Amino acid sequence: MFKELDPILHSQLRLAVVSLLIGVKEAEFTFIREKTNATAGNLSVQVQKLKEAGYIEVTKQFKDNYPQTTCKITPKGIEAFEAYVQALQQYLQVGKE
Amino acid sequence: MADEKKMTEQESLDLIRNMIQKAKGSYHETGIGSLLWGTVVTIASVVTYFQRTYDFYIGFDIWLLVLGAIIPQIIISIQEKKSNKVKKYEDDALNAIWLVFGITIFGLNAYQMIVPDVTDKFIQLEGWQLTKHYLDNTKPDEPIHTFTPSIYSLFILIYALPTLVTGMVKKFKPMLYGALITYGLFIWSCFTITEYDFLLGGAAALICWFIPGVILRRKYLAQQQANV
Repeated sequence: MFKELDPILHSQLRLAVVSLLIGVKEAEFTFIREKTNATAGNLSVQVQKLKEAGYIEVTKQFKDNYPQTTCKITPKGIEAFEAYVQALQQYLQVGKE
Repeated sequence: MADEKKMTEQESLDLIRNMIQKAKGSYHETGIGSLLWGTVVTIASVVTYFQRTYDFYIGFDIWLLVLGAIIPQIIISIQEKKSNKVKKYEDDALNAIWLVFGITIFGLNAYQMIVPDVTDKFIQLEGWQLTKHYLDNTKPDEPIHTFTPSIYSLFILIYALPTLVTGMVKKFKPMLYGALITYGLFIWSCFTITEYDFLLGGAAALICWFIPGVILRRKYLAQQQANV
């Protein structure tokens, strides 16, 4: 029986965001935008969806009088990412057979 | 990057791999700290070598330059912290290692300054003294002060430690190889007179910090240009 691919993660930009955050402790919104080449508006929407799913933590604060948004993956996000990668590998394995 | 594009399983895996690589490959170290310490320690070591070898004094303790470098280092650290857009898991551990390294160097300096004087006093209290005796009796015996022989070898040994850890954790080969060569320089310095220890220490600072600093700086600037 195949595991269903998590619809929250099975989207290009959201998966890119979580894949970036999995390897770092935390990252600023501007860093994620730089690495994903996404527009600020689109990224904002997808970050919000990941936050609502409980996959990432978003902290907003002021740094030198400028707003700063920092994102961090949560334990739930790590679990979901691992399950997603396992499911992907399962699909790819069957494709090879 | 569009969001709603349908991805195949292979595309998803490729995207994950690509993003993890991008996170890993982002250099937020500017290299300025490495360049600063590489420069001041190399200059101080080489000047000390020349002063001792050719018996002259430049008028002030050249190692004050190293002490003075703490101020720009604090400014650099604050600025780098402000401009860092990403924090990696290993950052806190590496910062702690470099802090401990700084404290150890400071402690070793204190040891070098305090212990000989204190030992002299204890020796005096016991009613004897250290004397330089020429085996061929060509010169008369002369009293000498206690000193820590070839202590700069220990500094060279300690230079390699945080450099090796950083090189291993960051998988940054210039620091990894620099540290390994420095361990070789430490062994070499055990067999040389103190003057040459300073020269070897200068070489250690050059390969541990200055050269990796130049490489880091180039990578950082190249990344900054790519982001423009």
